[in-house]
Amino acid sequence: MSIRLPKQFAELQPFAATWALATEYERAAQRRRSQPHDLQAFYAAAIKKLPAILKRVDKYPLGKIEGVDVHLFRLALSLAEIAPHVEFYGSDPRVPFAFSEERMLGFHAGLPD
Amino acid sequence: MSAVPKTSFLSRYPELGNAPIPVYPYLSTEYYEKEIASIYMQDWLCVGREEEIPQPGDFKVKRLDFARTSVILLRGKDGKIAAFHNVCRHRGNKVITETGGEETFGSKKGAMMTCRFHGWTYNGKGQLSAVPHEDKFPPCFKRSENNLVPIHVDTWSGFICINLAAKPPRTLNEFLGGFKTHLDGYPFSSMVHCHTYYAHINCNWKIGIDAFSEAYHVPTIHAGSFPGLTDYWQDDCAIYGEHRSMAFYSADMNPPTPVGTKANEIFGASIALKRNEPFPLPKTVNPRRHKNWGFEQTSMFPNFLIHVGEGLWFTHQFWPVAQNKCLWEGKYYLKPPQSNSEQWAQRYAVTLQRNAWLEDTATMEDTQEALLSGAVKEIHLQDDEIMLRHAFHIINSRVEALGSPARSAT
Repeated sequence: MSIRLPKQFAELQPFAATWALATEYERAAQRRRSQPHDLQAFYAAAIKKLPAILKRVDKYPLGKIEGVDVHLFRLALSLAEIAPHVEFYGSDPRVPFAFSEERMLGFHAGLPD
Repeated sequence: MSAVPKTSFLSRYPELGNAPIPVYPYLSTEYYEKEIASIYMQDWLCVGREEEIPQPGDFKVKRLDFARTSVILLRGKDGKIAAFHNVCRHRGNKVITETGGEETFGSKKGAMMTCRFHGWTYNGKGQLSAVPHEDKFPPCFKRSENNLVPIHVDTWSGFICINLAAKPPRTLNEFLGGFKTHLDGYPFSSMVHCHTYYAHINCNWKIGIDAFSEAYHVPTIHAGSFPGLTDYWQDDCAIYGEHRSMAFYSADMNPPTPVGTKANEIFGASIALKRNEPFPLPKTVNPRRHKNWGFEQTSMFPNFLIHVGEGLWFTHQFWPVAQNKCLWEGKYYLKPPQSNSEQWAQRYAVTLQRNAWLEDTATMEDTQEALLSGAVKEIHLQDDEIMLRHAFHIINSRVEALGSPARSAT
């Protein structure tokens, strides 16, 4: 099912299918599959819209985001996932000098994120 | 023994000496077996938080590979937590089916546990309360003699601790001593939104503990995730019996960035950026209320590191599996978010911390493999590594006191 973002978020439309992912596990895997220029392009588009997305999702109670805004929030979460890579790691898609990311597993009680 | 500078931590704990420590405790199977017998089967071990099983009937089952068992932690109808070996008294099936992971969570109606094999049922106190076709068992079988095998359990500040000894040599309070007093009053129970990571790492459990027991590594190992760290120091070193504590001081560890700064404005969830908001710390933690205080790195012997900061706390635990294998669990705790944007801000901070932990764990298997070469036989420790030195002394005294191995090597 294709995602159609509201027109004020049109700049993010090219990234929606790739980065509007529900879980940390999927977002990290997508990041590792990406090329440095993919991360840079998504970061550049998403950082401009971040304040508007956060303002928009706060219209909903915690964990109760509805409709297309679910996808906008997931894009913001993907920005959080890739931000250290663009801001600190020279856009390396993997954490440099790290233990195997695939062997470090996460589980988080409570909210889906 | 050469003199150490007067201001050093070692000068306050001269009994630790300043000699290099040996490498064989990280490699030897016999040493490992003695550690399990003299420490892990005798001391109190943290296995969870009370918030993980909030309601009567809620349970957690945790695998303990070093003891070849799993422990059931069950909140009874009376609200109290009991602990049992997850072994049915009939033919030894697991009373609670584990989901295959390290930890299994769930809830039992009326706190009653029924084994799926033949339907033996135990109540929240572990008492065998029902046996199908009980009349077919011979007279020597008595229900009252076939309760679940209990494990000693106690709590402090919401931490659930067990002791696998038949008769624990000390109570949990006696075991913790001044360490408990040091952290008493820290608001653990109001910061319960937990993010957990874990990995099976091919290294001795002490290599893992060591890596998180000093800040000497931070500028090098974390040059990636904390690139703004220019100056740091350790202080407030305190030893409480087997336990220990030390503080990490620095200015912000990261420069301002668009995402990092935004997240920190919404919710102060990262150790990298300070908020300088009032936060209720125990008196002995950051006693001078210094603005560059970052967090307290404390160690509850033998394998549990509790780091407390302002608005966040996190733990590392390394569970022995073999002399060259361990299970690492990292948990990061925050106040539950109140809004979606706070959830986003927390996600950024936790992601950065996850990456820092990937940097921390990066060296562990390499260290184990390299030490196995035998090329290096002893390790020189500097003053800021006093917590490693203290750990070695405590562990080694236990192992040496045991004499011959209590368990056969497997």
